[in-house]
Amino acid sequence: MMKGPSGPATTVASAAPVLRIGAVSKFFGTFKVLEDCTLDVAEGEIVTLLGPSGCGKTTLLRCIAGFWEANGGTIEIDGQHMFRVPVNRRPVGVVFQSYALFPHLTVARNVGYALRMRGLPRAEAKARVAEALDTVSLTGFEDRYPAQLSGGQQQRVAIARILVMEPRVLLLDEPFNALDAKLRGTMQVELRLLIKRLGLTSIFVTHDQEEALTMSDRIAVMRAGCIEQVAAPDEIFDRPATAYVADFIGTSNFWSARAEGGLVRLPDGQTASTVLKGEVRVMVRPHNLRLDAAGQGPWQGRVAFHRSVGPLVEYHVEIEGGMTLRVATMRQSANRPIRDDASVSIAVVDPALCAVYPG
Amino acid sequence: MIRHRLFPLSDLLGLGLIHAVAIFSLVLLVAPSIIVVIISFDTRAYVSFPPEGFTFRWYAEVFDKGELVEAMLNSLQVGLTVTLLCIVLGVPTALACVRGRFRGTTALSVFVLVPHMVPGIVLGVAVLFAGSLVGVVPSIWLQSIAITVFILAVMVRTVQSRLMRLDPALEEAAANLRATPFQSLRTVTLPLLMPAILAGAVFTFVEGFDNLSVAIFTHGFRDRPLPVELLALVQYTSSPLVAAVSGVQIVLAIAALVAVSMSIGLDNVNE
Ligand SMILES: Nc1ncnc2c1ncn2[C@@H]1O[C@H](COP(=O)(O)OP(=O)(O)OP(=O)(O)O)[C@@H](O)[C@H]1O
Ligand SMILES: [Mg+2]
Repeated sequence: MMKGPSGPATTVASAAPVLRIGAVSKFFGTFKVLEDCTLDVAEGEIVTLLGPSGCGKTTLLRCIAGFWEANGGTIEIDGQHMFRVPVNRRPVGVVFQSYALFPHLTVARNVGYALRMRGLPRAEAKARVAEALDTVSLTGFEDRYPAQLSGGQQQRVAIARILVMEPRVLLLDEPFNALDAKLRGTMQVELRLLIKRLGLTSIFVTHDQEEALTMSDRIAVMRAGCIEQVAAPDEIFDRPATAYVADFIGTSNFWSARAEGGLVRLPDGQTASTVLKGEVRVMVRPHNLRLDAAGQGPWQGRVAFHRSVGPLVEYHVEIEGGMTLRVATMRQSANRPIRDDASVSIAVVDPALCAVYPG
Repeated sequence: MIRHRLFPLSDLLGLGLIHAVAIFSLVLLVAPSIIVVIISFDTRAYVSFPPEGFTFRWYAEVFDKGELVEAMLNSLQVGLTVTLLCIVLGVPTALACVRGRFRGTTALSVFVLVPHMVPGIVLGVAVLFAGSLVGVVPSIWLQSIAITVFILAVMVRTVQSRLMRLDPALEEAAANLRATPFQSLRTVTLPLLMPAILAGAVFTFVEGFDNLSVAIFTHGFRDRPLPVELLALVQYTSSPLVAAVSGVQIVLAIAALVAVSMSIGLDNVNE
């Protein structure tokens, strides 16, 4: 488990999860959008729903918020069933993709909206609005209208508007989509630190894997309405549970092989262990492969193309059967990158980090 | 800003066309109004152009003639009643048509539109006959209701089109921020619809004030509206009195436009 910088909150490690999603399904007519989605989110944890467009991330979020009712399964917050609980009674705050700021209200009135709806005394509401605006560093913007703010400022108003009502669960649907790439990077880190500082239990939706790796304590990879794997970012990256997850997160090389007696023979002569038998697919990450320009190993290829990506050199190596392997090595000043068109021998650095999936 | 020196041919054509249409409409729509206003100040007792003198005599006569003032007040009452009815009936109808989750929202919006497709005269005669069948005699109220039925579609359509362009996430956000459905309507939906409602109100008021085709069959014989009174007037007199009444209406129309543009902006009316 990740430790939040807030410290004390994490000492209750075995406490019940704040949000429990149990076997949730959702149909539109006969079209199944969600199938048996199960996910627990612990106090103060940020879980990301990651998956390609149309896999049902927004749908799951909308079921949690109560905009749509799930057709099957349970959603519980702090042990309370959310079935048939109307949107305005769920202890949930949503940051919309479009932010959905009220264009006819000033920043202060947008942020104070939930407090007015709840009928809080004016003085107290005012103090809490000021506090929330201070939290997102927007003090002094009280009297502006949303149209007079930049995209990043609008996003912070949307977050402040949720913070004042102190929800148990924070839901964010691709909140960075409307921002340009540069701002996105800094806002990601800022938002993660803010959520962690406030200890908010959050579900964050994105289809950008880098964003997921930055933001999350755990990532839930979704595929066509199902959750394929839920694990910490490192775990997802190093030990993807399925070939789909491996393919979706990071770059990967796949090839077919046969497993016998708990072992798979790799093309370079080494072996990797597995519990599977018969036809399998082996996956290896680009940084787990090594090239040798003068090597005479059993696994030979030809460099088709190489390029420098920051501290890495990435090679596309053609091997027998028309396949192309991706290989990444650290750039070293001592030896120059291998030329294009050179013959190389390929070896797996650590066979234990190869993943083996059913063929 | 740097402008391109050379316009492409299509731009030139487009610009030319826009100017041509603008000039054409100015000549056709505005010029007659200007001529009417000029005539209304003529000293001669018959309609002719160009005028020979300048006098406020006809305007004085408009306000001296009891029946003209009364007709104006009647039309004002009809206009306000129609507007009020259209807001009270039209806004909920538009909400139901766009946000409703029941079957028949399309049928409802067509149902509202149909009376507007029927020629006003047909509607007027129909209301008159139907009224006499159940013993309802023409009156200022029957006239107001008939015109409301006729023009309701404009209010519904104006509000509908604005509602369809409202981001549904705004209402969801309100609900998420603890607003009950009624609070969300009051604090988010209605304020954002206000420009459309005001625009609809301008249209429906003008129709209520100005409508002749429906009014002529449904107005009360003691409560003649202005268009009917004017029609009678031009049949019996040919003095610039009628022009003076038009002059008063033009001033009122300009005042209304200025008031609307200062409060919500003409862009919002234009949608
Ligand atoms: N109101 C609806 N009626 C019918 N089908 C819908 C509706 N909303 C979404 N869907 C379908 O449900 C599926 C999942 O949609 P959803 O919006 O949850 O995807 P997503 O994972 O959020 O994708 P994206 O990354 O593009 O936002 C899609 O196939 C979509 O076509
Ligand atoms: Mg989505």
